[in-house]
Amino acid sequence: MHNFLNLFKGEMQRMIKYKILQISFVVTLLWLVIMFLIGADYVGDFVPLFIFMDASMMTVLLVGANLFFEKQENTLKTMLITPSSYYAILASKFIASVYLALQSAILISLFAYILFDVSVNFPLLVLFVVVITFAHTAIGFTFTVFVREFTGLLAFMIFYMFLFAFPSIFYFLGIFGDAFEYILMFSPTHGSLLMIDYAYGVEVSWYLLLIANTYLVMLGIGLIHFVVSPKYVETAVRE
Amino acid sequence: MSKKVFEVKDLRYRYRKGNVEAVRGISFDVYEGEIFGLLGPSGAGKSTTQKIMTKLFKEYAGEIVYLGKDLKQYDNQYFETLGVGFELPVHFSKLTGLENMKFFSQLYKERADIETLLDMVGLLDDKDRMVAQYSKGMKMRLNFVRALLNKPKLLFLDEVTNGLDPKNARIIKDAIRRFKEEGGTVFLTTHLMNDVEELCDRVAFIRQGEIVEISTPRDLKIKYGEREVRVEYYNNNQTKEAKFPLDGLGENKEFLALLEEETIETIHSGETTLDQIFIEVTGEKVDA
Ligand SMILES: Nc1ncnc2c1ncn2[C@@H]1O[C@H](COP(=O)(O)OP(=O)(O)OP(=O)(O)O)[C@@H](O)[C@H]1O
Ligand SMILES: [Mg+2]
Repeated sequence: MHNFLNLFKGEMQRMIKYKILQISFVVTLLWLVIMFLIGADYVGDFVPLFIFMDASMMTVLLVGANLFFEKQENTLKTMLITPSSYYAILASKFIASVYLALQSAILISLFAYILFDVSVNFPLLVLFVVVITFAHTAIGFTFTVFVREFTGLLAFMIFYMFLFAFPSIFYFLGIFGDAFEYILMFSPTHGSLLMIDYAYGVEVSWYLLLIANTYLVMLGIGLIHFVVSPKYVETAVRE
Repeated sequence: MSKKVFEVKDLRYRYRKGNVEAVRGISFDVYEGEIFGLLGPSGAGKSTTQKIMTKLFKEYAGEIVYLGKDLKQYDNQYFETLGVGFELPVHFSKLTGLENMKFFSQLYKERADIETLLDMVGLLDDKDRMVAQYSKGMKMRLNFVRALLNKPKLLFLDEVTNGLDPKNARIIKDAIRRFKEEGGTVFLTTHLMNDVEELCDRVAFIRQGEIVEISTPRDLKIKYGEREVRVEYYNNNQTKEAKFPLDGLGENKEFLALLEEETIETIHSGETTLDQIFIEVTGEKVDA
């Protein structure tokens, strides 16, 4: 426990030193600018999409980049010869990642509420963002244990966006029909979008919501247990 | 005889993507209070061996006994008494040297005074600079400090003098010797004969994953060093060379005549050609 707190403090310190926190903050401001450009009439329709993008894609991107650079600096390896357990190390990284996404989601939803009067079920939003970020942090980890070069990481991300994120966004914009939704439920991003929609008062059937939550939690745990854990040490030690 | 810290028996390791075994059945012991050197050319398996012994690689064949118990039975507490110096820099480049050391230090129960350590390796003035701005030698010295943060009893050092100028190499070697004098045990890998000669109590030569010789630096010199004297002298506007066996040198008429009649430029005794021993013992052309 003691070590976990120190590890977490270290993660937060590095988030600032490596300017990840600042970048995330700038992105939040960009969403705000976009809100103004969209204008008060339609902004309510788009806020869930912004929060969704931030909690899913941004999380994968930041976790991936962060781990990738740590791997390059050999710091993952030197962590493994400390008394800290491997689970404490992983947990500190997960919580830092969830913290980052929560901060953005809270800021975006507050801006939307104060400036454009877009109301939201706040506790539900927080809960869902935690679930979504948890799963997407695991996805970010999964990408990094498989790639050796930064270009590989980028390729993974782009592939992921085309396969999962864009279809959901198209669906959200009404480009795809309703029947498509059942297929989309296999995509972690789609469940995420539904959950955030729901927090913003969009009607979503309870079973889809249940499936989405369960799926994301199981996906996160499954990826950690079956992919990240077995490969983490190898990833960390590889030069 | 002091007690064994490590007993390594028939250790084997194969990388998942490697087509040959990187370590092929090596056995050796490391005794408490000694500096044990693993010496060999690039790619011989030195770093691999260290990574196995520091529990970074867990799927090895053979056995490693640490203080009487199988290494596999130790949990993370193993690392409380262990200091590990890696062959490459292992720091957060956007943090300062001091911030890096503080972060790692707090993960241990025992904590050495960081500034004292930084001072020892001449980094105190640079402690507030980002590691990204350090030179290679500075990063390697910070690696050494990193290894000592938890007041370890056992030090693993992988090519610790790599990239250091003679003055800084000296500082590190002195620190290693002091560590030993205070009762510490050191396992170091190197391809520098010089390091071995100055530091190691015992040395194992490793070549293509196999140990070809375990000895002391002194015995090695006696065994492989040519026991002869090489004299360079000046004669007829030319530098000439003559060799004489060390045994019976005092009665060697030719040698004595040379000393009397010629202008001597240099005299070397053959035992010092340790680099030659390295090439002979580890090199591909060995047929001894
Ligand atoms: N990640 C890896 N995957 C596959 N093979 C590897 C890997 N790392 C090392 N090897 C191979 O294992 C062998 C031993 O490598 P090792 O790094 O232990 O050598 P070394 O003695 O430390 O060399 P150096 O003096 O250059 O540091 C080499 O043949 C190397 O090619
Ligand atoms: Mg090496």
